[in-house]
Amino acid sequence: MKAMPTLEGGLRIDAESPNDWTVLRSIVADAGATNGVDLASRLGALISEEAGAEDWEEYIVPDLRESFQDDLAQVGANIESAIFEVDGAAGPVWISRADVFAWYSALNQARLSLEEIFHFGPGENIDPASLPPAMRAAYIRTRFYGTIQELLLDHVMR
Amino acid sequence: MGGRARACQRIKYDLMADTDTLTHTEEATSLDVPWNVVVHDDPVNLMGYVTYVLMKIFGYDKKKADILMMQVHRQGRSIVWSGEREKAEFYVQQLQSHQLKTSLEKVE
Repeated sequence: MKAMPTLEGGLRIDAESPNDWTVLRSIVADAGATNGVDLASRLGALISEEAGAEDWEEYIVPDLRESFQDDLAQVGANIESAIFEVDGAAGPVWISRADVFAWYSALNQARLSLEEIFHFGPGENIDPASLPPAMRAAYIRTRFYGTIQELLLDHVMR
Repeated sequence: MGGRARACQRIKYDLMADTDTLTHTEEATSLDVPWNVVVHDDPVNLMGYVTYVLMKIFGYDKKKADILMMQVHRQGRSIVWSGEREKAEFYVQQLQSHQLKTSLEKVE
């Protein structure tokens, strides 16, 4: 997999094999994985009774949930469309400036979900070789998602 | 939701159920206390992203946003804005929509 800024101010990610498409598809799958409580509800739970938790749950959390799901749907459609273009072979997926927030959101949702499940913490001192296989794969994906986020932040969102 | 500077409470005393009803009105006035918008640390959101979001939502310059971000990182939380409740709610909603762990606290 290769990623590079484009002249139009976006980012292109080149999938070099079917495995790379699988990794890109896993963004949406990971974002949707939860321990039973989704991101919108976890954020809503930070609001205390005194601050109006009940109203927050009723009025704000559904909007957050819908917005997060819209971002995942958009990124999922971008990836599937890119795969369709090259019939699953090597090829690029383009992230334009207009799409950058949905991409950043989807990648962040994926990392937040993986953190909720595996509790990697800051992650600087983790030796992937010491992790069980499923956790190791999740750790590598979360690092990959973080790297793409850094590229988006440095080259597209500024 | 929303701040209330003045609360008016009407209390009915039902003295003798079938005959008399005495209505007593009390008015309580309290200052509209400010609320804090608090961002909490988490191991996922990138430091540069937290700075970016604080600049975008509050219009802070990079220096101020960086200071607040470092407070979140080092102290686990930072009060990023204080003021009127309705505005505070709006900011919390904006920060949560950017996936930052954010809460709303009454100023003690």
